[in-house]
Amino acid sequence: MYSDLIQSLPNVIAWANIAALVIGVLAGIVVGAMPGLSATMAISVLVPFTFGLEPLVALGLMAGIYNGAMYGGAIPAVLLRIPGTPAAVATTFDGYPMAQQGKGGYALQVAVVSSAFGGMASAIALMLLAPPLSRVTLLFGPAEVFWVAVFGLCSIIFLLGGNVTKGLISACFGVFVSVVGSDPIFGNDRYTFGQLELLDGIHIVILLVGLYALPPVIDLLESPLKTENSAGDRLGTEPIWRTFPQMLRFWKTWIRSALIGIWIGILPGAGGSMAAFMSYNEARRSSKTPETWGNGEPEGVAASETANNADTAAALIPALTLGIPGTAVAAIMLGGLLIHGLQPGPMLFRNNPDIVFGFMWQFLFGAILLVFLGGSLATNSFAKLLKLPRPLLGSVIIILMLIGVYSIHGRMFDVYLMLGFGAIGYVMDKLRFPLPPVVLGLILGGFAEENLRLALRIGRGNWMVLFQNVTSLILVALTVAVVVGPMVKHRLIDKKKAESKG
Amino acid sequence: MHNKPTHRFLRAESITAFYIIVVAAAFLIPTTDLAPLSALLPAAMLVGLILLALVMLITDQRKAAAGEEAEAVVKSPKRVFGAFGLIILYAICVDLIGFYISTALSLPLVAFIFGYRSPVGLAIATAIVLLAIYLIFGVSMSQEFPTGLLWAK
Amino acid sequence: MQKIFKTIALASAFLTMAGTAFAQYPEKPIKVIVGYSAGGGTDVMARTVAPFLEKYLGDGASIVVKNMPGASGQIGVTEVANADKDGYTLGTYNLPGMMARTLDRKADYDASSFSYLANVVNDPNVIVTSKSSGLDTVEKLLAEAKANPGAITVGMSSLGGDDHFLLRKLQQMTETEFTIVPFRGSAPARTALMGGHVAMGILNISEVSAFKDEINVLGVALEDRSEFAPNVPTFKEQGVDLINGSMRGFVAPADLPDDVRDTLLAAFEKLKTDKEFAAAMKATANPVQVVTGDAFEKLNADLLDFAKSVWEESPWR
Repeated sequence: MYSDLIQSLPNVIAWANIAALVIGVLAGIVVGAMPGLSATMAISVLVPFTFGLEPLVALGLMAGIYNGAMYGGAIPAVLLRIPGTPAAVATTFDGYPMAQQGKGGYALQVAVVSSAFGGMASAIALMLLAPPLSRVTLLFGPAEVFWVAVFGLCSIIFLLGGNVTKGLISACFGVFVSVVGSDPIFGNDRYTFGQLELLDGIHIVILLVGLYALPPVIDLLESPLKTENSAGDRLGTEPIWRTFPQMLRFWKTWIRSALIGIWIGILPGAGGSMAAFMSYNEARRSSKTPETWGNGEPEGVAASETANNADTAAALIPALTLGIPGTAVAAIMLGGLLIHGLQPGPMLFRNNPDIVFGFMWQFLFGAILLVFLGGSLATNSFAKLLKLPRPLLGSVIIILMLIGVYSIHGRMFDVYLMLGFGAIGYVMDKLRFPLPPVVLGLILGGFAEENLRLALRIGRGNWMVLFQNVTSLILVALTVAVVVGPMVKHRLIDKKKAESKG
Repeated sequence: MHNKPTHRFLRAESITAFYIIVVAAAFLIPTTDLAPLSALLPAAMLVGLILLALVMLITDQRKAAAGEEAEAVVKSPKRVFGAFGLIILYAICVDLIGFYISTALSLPLVAFIFGYRSPVGLAIATAIVLLAIYLIFGVSMSQEFPTGLLWAK
Repeated sequence: MQKIFKTIALASAFLTMAGTAFAQYPEKPIKVIVGYSAGGGTDVMARTVAPFLEKYLGDGASIVVKNMPGASGQIGVTEVANADKDGYTLGTYNLPGMMARTLDRKADYDASSFSYLANVVNDPNVIVTSKSSGLDTVEKLLAEAKANPGAITVGMSSLGGDDHFLLRKLQQMTETEFTIVPFRGSAPARTALMGGHVAMGILNISEVSAFKDEINVLGVALEDRSEFAPNVPTFKEQGVDLINGSMRGFVAPADLPDDVRDTLLAAFEKLKTDKEFAAAMKATANPVQVVTGDAFEKLNADLLDFAKSVWEESPWR
């Protein structure tokens, strides 16, 4: 298996692929740095354009954007206290105080080095852990795949957010959208109302652009005030080779946060923001000087930024090997892989080792590139770009959305559909319905149904076919553990709290 | 606060819950035509939506009864509806008169309406964006964009 | 003044030339609508055929492939059926899918909507079994199917396609019964077969040539052995007269002008003997069998009749 890893390396070093990676990282940093634009949105806008590209060029762009955006979010988080991406929220805790003290440049350098470290650790984990996982390939027939999908659907409970009812409504909505189109077995129409355009189901990108990109655009236009003036006028940047030795004392935090980020990444349904929060808390807990945290402790920036980048490649481990996207970005990347005929799942490593392992290398190189590209971008010049007039920014994004969705199938029908989802997404966003369950529901709902019904046909209508072998039973047990485990844990924590109070 | 609800049934959450129920119920009608296994999942989801929306409605009404004020959903509804309307208008224009013309018109228009008034800035931005799109998508990716239904025939 | 006369003379000369040039189809790019996305089997066929067609149409003819994916090719083929009848819009055409769709769902076209130009690819069906099933000959397979009707699960791509029709033919001929498991496409069906989750599979020869070691290929539904797998016997050799496959070709809207139709048919006809073309098609895993004009129309009509008989007997949806 690992020989494929080495064999795929020469392909990755082709100039077009490296160029794609560089462009991706740069674009990712810019996108991440713009409040309201996330990696999710950038990649969902990008995916349809990659139709005509070589797979590795397309995937290099995506890997670059993902890595770049996870760091880019730190720039406005540090300079303006506006997290550029959701995962950068924890970066504001110490990054912004540092900027106020005139150490913004140092904060950004810590962020970029930590991000790169997290990204590299994650990429290496992906390279080493994914191949063994892919060996279980052929154990997964329809019954087993059904249980995998159910397992993934159950991870929705981690995505529900504060309000369980709303989270479940989001999930049901997502699953319902997934059944539009032709029935997986009989091929008859379901809810297509005679529209041939709906027969293949609703493309994930249409839904994603509608839900994730339109609401922020409307927000941009709703309050067109210029972003408030920053303390970033005085960054106090020193050359990175002089500041780097000072950072080496974070090594424990780097390793700990990287492990947390990778672990969260492998768990389906979690995500960069959860990784960043957890690792920030853990780092503070083990610090000798917890009182400096929140007042400009560079180690806090390091913890948060390492973890949110360590989440990136690791989230692809379940996505590539089992077809279960760990995060929304991983979900879109699966779409990107599908476009190039790369069916995610156990067979992927067998059928397309060059591309899959090349993709992994790109994650590693993307993380390394981050230091060079991010390091030079994180200067005063970037603060100016953030002052781009918001109405202008908004209208440019609108155009990109239209191009992106139109390019999927080359038809305006999809654009109107996207606008419809945008309206729904806006209402959901404003009423605080969580969006990730919709995405996960759309991806896994129809998938679960199709495999359930295939399994039932294989079992000739007998539902016991779902429990007939060890793999299925293990998956059932895992699912139960995922659902029940957190409940038990919450009980225990509540109990402890009650005891300590009493 | 112009969009503060005057009536407890006009709270944004209640209205949304009500709409979810109505739409989900409407989708149940075509569901009856499907074969049993084919209808299983969609029917379960629709019924789930109806039940959950009912819970949401009741929760929100309880809050209303308890005198809790609903949060303002949008800061300025005019701008929101305006923005959404303009986006739809832009899509229709692309369909009817073609991508490049509509984009050249709508980019400065939207930016102008929403508060960016510098004519030089608008002209430069429009030129850069159009050129970039043409070069990146039109030339290097050989993407075709709608040419406009009005001009076809 | 003289200049103007000159221009007029020139212009009229051009006009008369244009008059004759009208016969010299094609005078502008020909659009070929592919009902699948770029990179799919049908798309690859269209893009492989295009340069050869350009060569044989001559006069710097140019062909532009346009993908209109969706609804298993139905969106694209509907567009072709309703296009201008001037020969500047052609489309790819898949059998038996395109005709089966006129039976099992609402379609805005029928068999009379097209001028049948040429079928280019005939990808014959193969019956495969998993190594773990132990059913490594047609004989054993049929014996098992007769002993336990419905016990053998058959993985294939969707109902109403060539795989499905092959199984219908097999069931009719041998009076056996199998349990159909229709996957979304051949790749997942093949994966399930390799894992032993289904016992038997119906695929196309181009889809199994890379997997000969992992599965048993029992036979090919062709008159003579296929050059893609010369070791695999035909069903005829094994006593079952099964001929079936997935076909891909080109059509234009019905009622083309005669000269245009003749030009196109002549160009397609030349593909039959082009060795370079055959090599290019083999490299892209496309088994070639060129059938042009009326023969293609007859092929289409026969397939439609068979599909109709299946549909009337046991509608699949």
